[in-house]
Amino acid sequence: MNRRAVLRAGAGLVGAGVVGGCLQTESRSVRSPPLVENRPDAVYYPTHSEGMEMVGSTTAGEYRIAAMYSYPHRFWEVTGSDTNLKKLDGSTAMHFMTVVWDPETETVLPNASLTVELTKEGALADQTNMYAMLSQPMGLHYGNNVEGDGDGTYIASIEVGSVPEGRVRRSGDFQGRFTEPATAEIEFEYSESTRDDLPYQEYDDAGKRAALEPMDMMAPSATVPPEGELPGEVHGTATSGDAAFVVTVQDTVPAGIEGDGQYLSVFAHTPYNRMVLPSMTLSGALAGDSFALEPTLDPDLGYHYGAAVSEVADDDTLSITVDTPPQLTRHEGYEMAFLEMSHMEVQL
Amino acid sequence: MDLDESLPRRRFMKAAVAVGGASALSACLGRAPRAGEPVPEGVSDPSELPQRQHAWNDRVRVDGDGNVHLPRHQAFLYLTLDGDGPPGDEARETVETALGTLDRAYERSNEGLIYSLAYSPSYFDRFGDPLPDSVDLPEPRRLSGFENPEFDTQDALLHLASDRGDVVLEVEEAMFGDRSEANGIAVDATLGDVLIVDDRRTGFIGAGMPAERQAQGGEPISGIPDSLPVPDRSPLFMGFEAGFSGNQATEDYVTIREGPFADGTTKHVANLRQRLGDWYDEQSFEERVMEMFSPGHAEQGLVEGVGDNLGADSGIDAFLDPETIEQSIEEHGRVGHAQKAARANRDADGNVRILRRHVESTDDDLASLHFPSLQRRLSTFEDVREAMNGDDLTDNPAIRQRVNNGILEYIFVQHRGNFLVPPRRHRALPTPRPA
Repeated sequence: MNRRAVLRAGAGLVGAGVVGGCLQTESRSVRSPPLVENRPDAVYYPTHSEGMEMVGSTTAGEYRIAAMYSYPHRFWEVTGSDTNLKKLDGSTAMHFMTVVWDPETETVLPNASLTVELTKEGALADQTNMYAMLSQPMGLHYGNNVEGDGDGTYIASIEVGSVPEGRVRRSGDFQGRFTEPATAEIEFEYSESTRDDLPYQEYDDAGKRAALEPMDMMAPSATVPPEGELPGEVHGTATSGDAAFVVTVQDTVPAGIEGDGQYLSVFAHTPYNRMVLPSMTLSGALAGDSFALEPTLDPDLGYHYGAAVSEVADDDTLSITVDTPPQLTRHEGYEMAFLEMSHMEVQL
Repeated sequence: MDLDESLPRRRFMKAAVAVGGASALSACLGRAPRAGEPVPEGVSDPSELPQRQHAWNDRVRVDGDGNVHLPRHQAFLYLTLDGDGPPGDEARETVETALGTLDRAYERSNEGLIYSLAYSPSYFDRFGDPLPDSVDLPEPRRLSGFENPEFDTQDALLHLASDRGDVVLEVEEAMFGDRSEANGIAVDATLGDVLIVDDRRTGFIGAGMPAERQAQGGEPISGIPDSLPVPDRSPLFMGFEAGFSGNQATEDYVTIREGPFADGTTKHVANLRQRLGDWYDEQSFEERVMEMFSPGHAEQGLVEGVGDNLGADSGIDAFLDPETIEQSIEEHGRVGHAQKAARANRDADGNVRILRRHVESTDDDLASLHFPSLQRRLSTFEDVREAMNGDDLTDNPAIRQRVNNGILEYIFVQHRGNFLVPPRRHRALPTPRPA
């Protein structure tokens, strides 16, 4: 089994005494310090970060799945532009997380339905929905706070649901993919002491407009490549709600998408660490034509918002409207950003 | 598990049914001797009983609004035949004799016993002939892209229901245990002579019963948060009434019209776990109304308390057109459970297509529910479930496969099984083409 605790502390780390990252058992209140006052409507340093324990990884159907746990976390569910804080009430044992990806292309899948059933010695400890969520150290993953049943050997039965076509279009070799659910089982040891020994770090510049570095989590991360490495030609960028939008033009329309002109592909990502921002409704307008910029998973382009257009002229202006901001559950530091997102104009 | 004699009567009966067995029965009878509370007897000639095994509605309690109240205590016995191949005439006669004993022993009512015996596609596979085209009974299958249930492929399902917990227990002991009498009637042949109980599940339904059962020994059962939030008067763990008469198919409607199994019906039974922490602790009453009924129900304040103000109809038909749904998703980021499902649960004339008879359960100390649904064609249930999945609504990213999508975040399908409930004349180990 692939298990290890990891923490790569980001910029802003304070206190040389915690090099190595390990503190002793923390009380819950210490593990969940008060939120900073006057949080910016943007990405910001959270009050703290924690390490995680690798549970293991496995393959189920066409999916590769890694699982890990950490201390229970507060997080925010997002519906439209509203956030709803999921508080910690002391009833849960761990924040259970998974990352799901296509093993061949290492494309992280953001729109599967995930559930986990935790059993210990055959008895149910918990079964729950896992939210698609975004955190600074973890990036895009699925997670929830789950109940446990003390120390011991657990089996996590992880059900990966199909990805609805209406939710994210597939193109290229991803056509017809990710339509079958699969179940993975991973056995792991859990103990409160291991959990409580996970690295824990508070930041004295919490609230500053910045983001922690991502951790090494033994799974690919859903990030948008730097502009120089993006396929196609970059024609402009814009920001809205602290999110970055990179507009590229591909000379051919990916297989499976109707249209025979050029293909506008818009990559939306977080600032500082370029994490993919999925699950938006975007619309575009170009040279008098309006169209949906459809969420699309493509093996070459990755997750993007795309539309086939007849031709992009050099002086065209693309307007992008965010009709629905990223419907992703947020960890601290992301819950104020990507909610109110203004209209963008990009000179191509 | 020991039965706690200090429990109030109704909880004691419920606990006894959940535990089952001869000792539970004797504890029930010790506490409430039959002589003091006789159970009404059945008919001397079982052939007088109606052909429809699923005709329950005129034999149970009905409230002032016309809503049917199912018997409080229920058991679902999943049965298998010994060996391979089709059963013989001797086994068939044994089953018919055993069922005849039940018919004579107990009045067919909530105060006596209501039951049905149904058969799975696997059972009919034992025969060389397929079922006739007049019966639509596929094998159970996964009905959403995010569930992975175990399929109940046992041969038969015996569904027992009574307001008397001691009756349910007595029937089980008489049919599968050592009890030689059923309500004073001698038992000559038993179902257990032919069929083995592969799985036993129990359920209950009635205002107040979930609240009473949400904790055991002071601890919430699995799926129920520490706040023990289930409202006192709710018949279901989720806190609302369901199965309003105006939103149920009639027994007539779900009845097979033609062929050898005319007067029968098909039955889907799902078993679902519930996890209600976030349902209650993270959501307001209005949000629960939005997700259970529709956002429009919350906007217009249509639901009070557990919803008994709704009378005989949830009023869901006013919130089904695609524009209404799209608009409420845009405004509230949510879609209602009843709203989604009802889209596929009406025929061209507006008739409801399926008859739901679900009950709650605390089997294995988990908050769960057993969800039988009756329909003329089994695939009608599959259509309704597909509509309830709401995959077609997830193009708005606020609606995720489970999140903001009715009640799907809180329920987890564990089992699915499909059955044919034959008419009474073919209820004993029927062939696929009975004469």
